[in-house]
Amino acid sequence: MPPLKSLGPGFPVIDSDFQSFCASLGILSVEDFLLHDLDALAAQADLRPSPERLKQGLALVFTIIESMHQPWRNGMEILEDVQKNKRILSTGCEGVDSLLKGGLHEGHVTELTGPSSSGKTQFCLMASAEVAYKHKGLVTYIDTGNSFSAKRIAHSIGQVDKKVLQTVMNRIICYSVYDIFTLLAVLHELEFRLKSQICERDGIARLLVIDSISSLITPILGSNGPQGRGLMTSTGWLLKKVADEYSTAVLVSNHTVSGNHGTTKPALGESWKVIPHTRLLLTQVGGSNCSISIIKHPSLENATSFSLLNHSQFCITYKV
Amino acid sequence: MVENGVKGWISVNEGAREMLERVLGERPVMMLPPPLHRVPVRAGNVIEISGTSPSAKTLLLIQAAVNCVLPTEWEGVHYGGLGQLVLYIDLDCHFDVARLQQVLRYRIFKARGGRVVDWEQNNAKGGNVELPLIVCDDELLSLCMRRFFYVRCYQTSEFLATLKTLHCRVQREVEAHGARIQLLLIDNIGAFHWVDRATTISVLEVQNRKSFSLQGVWEALVHDLRKLLSVHPMLIVASKASVFGNTTNEAERPFQGRFSMDIADQRSRMKESHKHKFREYMPAIWQAFVTHRVILQNSDESVAASNGQHKQPIHLLEWLLPALNTVDKFIVGDAGAVLVP
Repeated sequence: MPPLKSLGPGFPVIDSDFQSFCASLGILSVEDFLLHDLDALAAQADLRPSPERLKQGLALVFTIIESMHQPWRNGMEILEDVQKNKRILSTGCEGVDSLLKGGLHEGHVTELTGPSSSGKTQFCLMASAEVAYKHKGLVTYIDTGNSFSAKRIAHSIGQVDKKVLQTVMNRIICYSVYDIFTLLAVLHELEFRLKSQICERDGIARLLVIDSISSLITPILGSNGPQGRGLMTSTGWLLKKVADEYSTAVLVSNHTVSGNHGTTKPALGESWKVIPHTRLLLTQVGGSNCSISIIKHPSLENATSFSLLNHSQFCITYKV
Repeated sequence: MVENGVKGWISVNEGAREMLERVLGERPVMMLPPPLHRVPVRAGNVIEISGTSPSAKTLLLIQAAVNCVLPTEWEGVHYGGLGQLVLYIDLDCHFDVARLQQVLRYRIFKARGGRVVDWEQNNAKGGNVELPLIVCDDELLSLCMRRFFYVRCYQTSEFLATLKTLHCRVQREVEAHGARIQLLLIDNIGAFHWVDRATTISVLEVQNRKSFSLQGVWEALVHDLRKLLSVHPMLIVASKASVFGNTTNEAERPFQGRFSMDIADQRSRMKESHKHKFREYMPAIWQAFVTHRVILQNSDESVAASNGQHKQPIHLLEWLLPALNTVDKFIVGDAGAVLVP
């Protein structure tokens, strides 16, 4: 939190009088104003000599605070923004697309949970291939377990011209990340890049894949202190910000742990549940088949519909 | 001058009848749409809806918003709404505007005599029929959507800044629309709980500097909300997600709020009927601010939907404050939450 005087010569009303007035009340930076009542401060300013100048300073601080939060929008504006900018990206897997009534939503965080080797990485790679090839979009793939395979992506795309394949593969950027702090750094860098690139909506499809986010968060959740969960919450909110502000579809994968009475449940605990918009669960149903069902969705009722998928090919036969 | 002051102070401002008319006009009693219909509420009340994720909390907020933005009557059709403005502060950042639009269109369709059941049956037969767009549907829809104001906050400082500047915003919108703000919805008041708790109190060079700890932040938030309620009376409905799971090895002590004793009593009673794993984690200052409490749970039962195809899980709703001993059951359909008898 930078001190008040760093507002600098651009704001002459924030002079040393104003700063000493604020310091006497325990306010050293603009953020400190958030914890105080501005009307009470104005009343305090009345007791000082030259209250008008102090009140001008307070009015300036008020305008700075107004810029510190996201803008208010009405329902029609949000609806138009969603209809114009936020598309639904198909994933390349018919079963999942029909379950989600279209595919992955730009602006939403979708979580895919399942036990190990149930096909989560395969699904992530397929979705990346689909977005890069069919939707001609950009994919950022964050790989935490060295499971990214360019060969499998090329296989998903199928037989195409070599030049086309090269263009498609160039649209996918892979980062190897092994701890949460590197992940936060990568996400902040991505956000900064997107902010400087997008002046107007350019209509490019965007997908961000994190495979798997649970391997980054589980090590920090160990203690009973709030730091681990605080980091997890901050990461989750950053993902949501990137998703919504820059029209990106975010896909994260999670593993399962054993729950009560021998059932399996998604890892990362109760606080994680509020972070994804949509949660999908993969379960093995014998042989090479697995079933995918919805645990949470903003508008579809959960757990009543599921798709059966053939593991090795990860598509076809679905049943609702 | 002093005499005038004292005389003026003890002279009558208004009679009892006038006061009652004024208060009931400013803060009328209203009923929220089912399943929150059991208790009448007024502007100035603060309702907290707790539940795990997912348990239809956001849907209840959306339904309350739809009920508020719809006009009472429009072009001869009775919609039964309040025709007022709604503010929605999204701390969870997972609001889906398509869902709001869907619930709104269902209400409009139903008010105009459309039968929702027929539509659902048609859809179940394999058709992907869109809701029939009646002429002038879009005009009413856009009027209602324009009465809904939305902001999202990605961190506590943004939430604090939003509340600080809310008074000016409210005044601007009230003047522009000529309608009052009846409802303030906050989705997931506990969204930044862990981040706030993890904020360590640094060594303060200045003695009277307020810190961004959990207590400090909540004192400022509740203070701003109280100020807002005194100037613009409105109903506040906040959803709260539980942050503690059902594990037995959690060594955290729950925050002891003023109402924690009541909650403990309720809990021992409810344990007999269904599992209850909610522990109060909000600071005492917020717990004292809340005037009504509702709890949502997912039950293991399910019921066949009207189109006969899927089985839909039943959600349970119980009022903790005021303590009613009834549990309402509802299912979530495309039209919103529907009570199950």
